[in-house]
Amino acid sequence: MTREMMSVWWAQIRAVVRLEMRKTFFAKRGLWIYLVAALPVLIFMAYAVATASEQNHRMSVVRQGEKRLTYQDLLAVKSGMTQEEVIAILGKPPIRFHWTDRRPTGDGTTGPGSTVEVSHENYHYSDGQNDLFVGLVNGEVESINIQEGSNPGQDSIMFAEVFQFFFLRLAIFFGCLGIFMNLFRGEILDRSLHFYFLAPIRREVLMAGKFLTGLLATCVIFVTSEVLQTVAFLWHFTPGARDVYLYHNHGLEHAAVYVGVTVLACVGYGAFFLVAGMMFRNPILPAAAILLWEWINPFLPAVLKQFSVIYYLKSLCPVDIPSPPGMSPVVALLVSNSDPVSAPVAVLGILIVACIALYASSLQVRRMEINYTTE
Amino acid sequence: MSDRIVFADVSKFYGEILGVNRVNLSIPPGITSLVGPNGSGKTTLMNLMTGLVKPSRGRVQVLDYRTDDPENLFRILGYSTQFDAFPKGLTGFQFIYSYLRLSGRDAQTAEQMAWRVIERVNLVDAAKRNIAGYSKGMRQRIRLAQALAHDPKVLVLDEPLNGLDPLARSEMIALFRASAAQGCYVIISSHILHEVDVISDQVILLSNGYVVAEGQISTVRGEIQDHPTQILIRCSRPRELAAKMLEEELTIEVSIHKDERGLLLKTRDTDRFYLALNELAMNGIDIESVAPADDDVLSVYEYLIGNEEAVR
Amino acid sequence: MAVYRRNYKPYSGGLTATWSRWFVLFRYSRRNLFRSKFLTALFVICFFWPLICLCMIYLAHSASFLQQLGLPTGVLSIDNKFFYTFMWVQGVLAFLLTAFTGPGLISPDLANGALPLYFCRPFSRVEYVLGKSSVLAILLSQITWVPGLVLFIMQASLAGPSWAWSNLWIAGSLVISSLIWIAILSLLAMALSAWVKWRIVAGALLLGVMFFGGGFALAINGVMRTESGHFFDIFYLMKTVWNAMFQVDADHAIPVAQAWIALLVYCTICLGLLMRKVRAYEVIK
Repeated sequence: MTREMMSVWWAQIRAVVRLEMRKTFFAKRGLWIYLVAALPVLIFMAYAVATASEQNHRMSVVRQGEKRLTYQDLLAVKSGMTQEEVIAILGKPPIRFHWTDRRPTGDGTTGPGSTVEVSHENYHYSDGQNDLFVGLVNGEVESINIQEGSNPGQDSIMFAEVFQFFFLRLAIFFGCLGIFMNLFRGEILDRSLHFYFLAPIRREVLMAGKFLTGLLATCVIFVTSEVLQTVAFLWHFTPGARDVYLYHNHGLEHAAVYVGVTVLACVGYGAFFLVAGMMFRNPILPAAAILLWEWINPFLPAVLKQFSVIYYLKSLCPVDIPSPPGMSPVVALLVSNSDPVSAPVAVLGILIVACIALYASSLQVRRMEINYTTE
Repeated sequence: MSDRIVFADVSKFYGEILGVNRVNLSIPPGITSLVGPNGSGKTTLMNLMTGLVKPSRGRVQVLDYRTDDPENLFRILGYSTQFDAFPKGLTGFQFIYSYLRLSGRDAQTAEQMAWRVIERVNLVDAAKRNIAGYSKGMRQRIRLAQALAHDPKVLVLDEPLNGLDPLARSEMIALFRASAAQGCYVIISSHILHEVDVISDQVILLSNGYVVAEGQISTVRGEIQDHPTQILIRCSRPRELAAKMLEEELTIEVSIHKDERGLLLKTRDTDRFYLALNELAMNGIDIESVAPADDDVLSVYEYLIGNEEAVR
Repeated sequence: MAVYRRNYKPYSGGLTATWSRWFVLFRYSRRNLFRSKFLTALFVICFFWPLICLCMIYLAHSASFLQQLGLPTGVLSIDNKFFYTFMWVQGVLAFLLTAFTGPGLISPDLANGALPLYFCRPFSRVEYVLGKSSVLAILLSQITWVPGLVLFIMQASLAGPSWAWSNLWIAGSLVISSLIWIAILSLLAMALSAWVKWRIVAGALLLGVMFFGGGFALAINGVMRTESGHFFDIFYLMKTVWNAMFQVDADHAIPVAQAWIALLVYCTICLGLLMRKVRAYEVIK
């Protein structure tokens, strides 16, 4: 392999990338990929807006309150306390609802169907970060509901959930499916693949050029999405809270790792879908099979787990997701990282899986024929 | 070093469907026409020659190159396909320019070469327009430009005259001839038999995936011994000549030309017929000209493949 | 023979009745579908679960056989939950079958510019959509409510008329829930097929809409601390409706009425998309 040959190949790869870029980035049929990448950003933006509005409301509750409260004050209210005891601890409620209804007596002393009037009151307090909702019935505390406000530390778990469960498994998966399968299969359907096959270019070089284009496109789209998600996620926090999270609680490090995982996901899924797009006339079947394989990964034996992309990606994710009581066991298993591998092994694993897929692609691309009539 | 395009016992099957079967060819330089009805295997043969499809059996070699080596093959070969689809969003110039960049040429060279070939196919005015807006003839020309762009030694052209107006046709034919005169291999498939006849040095006749005849048109015709040859004789006394010729056993059919200044004869043994005709001429019959009336591709095509298919 | 030498003879045979003309589309589309060996195999697989259910019903009424197997006689109870489970499995299979058959119904016609040809025949847009959707409707019926009713009749014949009368509503639920699912799947598949034009991409998009919708719903619910995300999850909406129809106890994050309305909205959107694309002309830019 001479140096001159290498430079020709590199020039050819660049030519393929230039041609494919326009098609990959600006094709009308690829617009949905932008939508898929934008959805998590929109969710976090909506979250930021909702949280900011909640915070404003909370601050107005604080301003209306009789005294400044701490979180400990909010926790001091217990069930069964009287109205006076609550006011003694927290002051007059800034927001108060009062209504009455009638309840059946049910004590046997009166006739059937007889009712008694019950007085209800709801008090809303806030310490500026958290909300306390106290429900009183006939002057006695019956229900206490503390809604904790958001903080970057807690929200980073939510971010990790969305990243692992939605962004990696669905958004990047389907985005890569759309872009990488389109590289060859799309041109076969368009009946324009012969353009490349008539050029004095090695089929493997063509494949490399197309793979690079796909990788570049998916990385740009999904890394941008990932960065915007992080920005949207941190948007509503005070600058102080943001700084603490980013510079003292590994926030910046986590963001960088997420970007890295996104790139590796594009490499892994991209290689898979490139080969699937070349080998199968109807790539839905392999796509569905890969989707199923990735989703059942947590249930697979250790040996089989290694032959998937999500196994390594999950190991690289910086935040472990605890299984909250409300989470369904299946979702908990999907996001849990029961059998992680070290970061170097995970990166190497993905690269090896991608290399195997690319090797299969190079064999397949040499065998490809132009026979549009069978499509 | 080989100077031929060689098909050695090549067969191609698309599943259970026959593309071409047991093709043995050795194509020399010059213009070679592939002729045959729809589905006879012309495009398959061209696709095999260019490596777009792989033979199920046998071997194809283009000069010194194997067809599974596109990197080297397409440096000497240009193929104008029948596929009427182009990469989306490209102008005519970008189409040629990109093709040349794909072959590894630098931007400046690619641009110069692109303009040169666009000029050759007479598309300069439309070069900056999107191909999607081209007429059929313009699309045909831009495909030809792609095939010619890198000055290949072998030109494979699938129905290159389709969609072209008469002027453009004659321009293209002149272009093919010029290439052939320079020692290039020009392989053309066409249904326009008249033009094939005019431009071809040799012809390959295909039917149902088989090569039924190959070589120079006159040679092919001569090989069909058992089919009568039709000869047009122009003379002042056609009826007298007709009577004399019918006395010869060689003549199997005679008809007087409409203008009464010639006659059409059919014979199975051309050589002996010409000897007999010479004797008659020497005995006082005034003969102006003698010409084979069916020594063209259409006739050969009709004899070998059948009238029904020739009409298609 | 050259065409001009042939004498033109117009068709003089009988014509299909106007009301049943759309059935021609059904016949040919269905024939095309079953040319695929994969689809034929998938269709056959769709009958495995009904067969197993049939065996279960038989076993539930064969006390002696269960005893021979060493199983208690009440281990198999054939009730609303049994039919609900049947419906779930068949519903998923119906979705898979739709993903492979639905996109191929309209997209090839659009991609090849065949719609003007259809509509220059005596076919209206409604008849065209009816003809195409009937392929899916009949295909999916064959694997959902038809075997469901067979199972119900089998159970009724073994359990006696009193069981049949008191559980007649299950038969109604089987039919109605199947028909809703069939309507949603057919409309969604055809709308995507009409908009995307590429059969393969339309199939992938159908998979995407269903799976991605579910994931998106969970993401919204997780981030926004709400249950409204479920409106994006067609599987969840359908599950909510089925739970109500089969009277199966389950926690509903959204009320049944809202699930019904959401499904109706999806159907309307799909129908609108479909009718916008199925036209006798196409604007080519």
